[in-house]
Amino acid sequence: MYVVRPVEPADVGALEALLAASTPGVHTLPRTREKISALVERSSASFAAHVDIPSEETYLFVLEDLEQGEIVGTAAIHASAGSNGTYFAFRNDVIQQVSRDLNISHSVHALTLCSELTAYSQLSGFTIRDREKAGKEAALLSRGRLLYAVLAPHRFGDRFFVPLAGVTDDKGQSPFWDALGRKFFKMDFLDAERVIGGARNRTLIVELMPHYPVYVPLLPGPAQEAMGQIHPSGELAFNLLTEEGFEADEYVDIFDGGPILQAHRNALRSFCGSMVRRVATQDQPPGAPAQLDTMVNYAVASSERNFRAVVVACTPAESGTTLCLPSWTRKALQVAPGDNVICVRI
Amino acid sequence: MLVIRAITLDDVDPLIEMARQVGSGMTTLKPDRDMLGERVTIAVASFAQTIPPEERDYMFVMEDTSNGRLAGVCAIKAAVGLNEPFYNYRIGTLVHSSRELNVFTRMDTLYLSNDLTGSSELCSLFLMPEYRTGSNGKWLSKSRFLFIAQFQQLFTEKIIAEMRGYQAEDGTSPFYEGLGRHFFKMDFDHVDGLTAVGKKSFIAELMPRQPLYVAYLPDDAQSVIGQVHRSTLPARKLLEQEGMHYEGYVDIFDAGPVLQGRVSELRAVRDSVPTVADEGAPEGECDITLVSNTKLEDFRMILTLACNGGAKVALSRRELQLLHCQAGDPVRTLSLNVRKNTNG
Repeated sequence: MYVVRPVEPADVGALEALLAASTPGVHTLPRTREKISALVERSSASFAAHVDIPSEETYLFVLEDLEQGEIVGTAAIHASAGSNGTYFAFRNDVIQQVSRDLNISHSVHALTLCSELTAYSQLSGFTIRDREKAGKEAALLSRGRLLYAVLAPHRFGDRFFVPLAGVTDDKGQSPFWDALGRKFFKMDFLDAERVIGGARNRTLIVELMPHYPVYVPLLPGPAQEAMGQIHPSGELAFNLLTEEGFEADEYVDIFDGGPILQAHRNALRSFCGSMVRRVATQDQPPGAPAQLDTMVNYAVASSERNFRAVVVACTPAESGTTLCLPSWTRKALQVAPGDNVICVRI
Repeated sequence: MLVIRAITLDDVDPLIEMARQVGSGMTTLKPDRDMLGERVTIAVASFAQTIPPEERDYMFVMEDTSNGRLAGVCAIKAAVGLNEPFYNYRIGTLVHSSRELNVFTRMDTLYLSNDLTGSSELCSLFLMPEYRTGSNGKWLSKSRFLFIAQFQQLFTEKIIAEMRGYQAEDGTSPFYEGLGRHFFKMDFDHVDGLTAVGKKSFIAELMPRQPLYVAYLPDDAQSVIGQVHRSTLPARKLLEQEGMHYEGYVDIFDAGPVLQGRVSELRAVRDSVPTVADEGAPEGECDITLVSNTKLEDFRMILTLACNGGAKVALSRRELQLLHCQAGDPVRTLSLNVRKNTNG
């Protein structure tokens, strides 16, 4: 049994241990205790803030294993990706080349440095322990932050995106970087990621990266193959996000060419498929054993002010006004019968 | 003897015969009767001044008067790019610099440009193999500069010459393989052929419109930018001696250099001498010299030993006949070779 909740100051130690074991090369969450503390503070301030326009807030969520009392995962949302700068990405453009006179028509694929993701909300920092063994709780963790956005839409943009780490070899070299960024930065991929702190919204990107379209056919084969490909560590996140309704292919990362998934919130299942239901105890209506077959898994979230989310099997709630929750769930969500929750099928 | 003269309509058939020997790589001389016939008609009208200056195309032939055969051909187009777009890549520089990271990167770029639109172009130079001896090639090439010096008012200030780009042993162009092929999806020969039949601008429409970083191209494509075909090196040197320079414009297909010059700075314009023909034998210190008459419609030129600096230039009776001149007629002279004491 797991719960997703906002991070708390007491979690810093557990986070440090969890993040130390996560995949290197993914720079979205800090690893030092000092920086983790700062992030937790920022997150707490963000949850407490009264927000009119999404800006610099970062919301960090943790996945807690209730039985072990352990933190086993993290996930975050930045309210506005470019809050202190412009968020840069490569947009996949297709340029149609047509010559009627020569009877030639073909399309040329080009990458254009763009800043249109700046006002989007950005999902990041998806980390889960024992990724290979993860079950429904991984879906809960990924979706929990979106349920928070459903409960507090004014805190976020209309559109969301998620950058996923691109392909690197065992030495940390990125074929995409070698064909592109290296020519401008004159340094190794990991060195560049370190000096820029994993950020994509720094002025030096404008100073160094190409302003003109990069014609993909001119890139060497390995760089072309790496475009839009995920690092194996990102496969779970990729699958969860595409099920959620995120779409790949339109943007890639300017450094490693990894996919940037994006969607309007109306295209996300958490937004369009979630329902508000009144909490009821599981005994009403009286449960018959046969009903177990018809139980479905829901991600259930409580409220903006005291946000908690769990995944639980319940009787289908589509046709009723109530959602029957077992007592551990009500306890984890900190809700009582009669309170409203939102739920979405997983 | 050989004479270089304005082309006439009678030259069409021998010109087609010559074009058969040109082979690929020379896009403006293909053995196509309609194309060449039309071009000669325009050239004749150009010398007759019956068409506007910017539409003119001055074609010259080198004729062997001993047998009446054509030995070579060359031309000057008065202005390029006025009927269909004239494309080149301009090599530019973009600096990407970050003080914060202490990175300073200087990148060469290729900009698709029409910058040379309206320039006069030297083109279509071909000398029959059996006449490639002595100074014939040099003379044929340089004859155009003397023509320009005599008729400066007919040309724009800028003169250009497109040079054939580098090709590998197997005839492929590394630049084309690294760039153009991705956008045209056809072989260089095919592109070359389309260029010849006046479809170059259609092809250019398929080129990327945005500047390209040279660093994206494969190394062998990068290294041949601005390099001429091996067989074109002597031609390039000749033009450079006459005051033309490579200034960063290249062909969009094979990256061959475009040489550019200002009319007022051409050696021929600065050093050629308007003088008067005289009948006689040269005396004193003599040079191999181009001597032309000053008649546009019946332009003729010979190469001879002549003395410099006099108020008159002594020519034999036969030479005067070749020039369609008589003693006392104005002529213009230019030493074939660059004098060491003037511009080295």
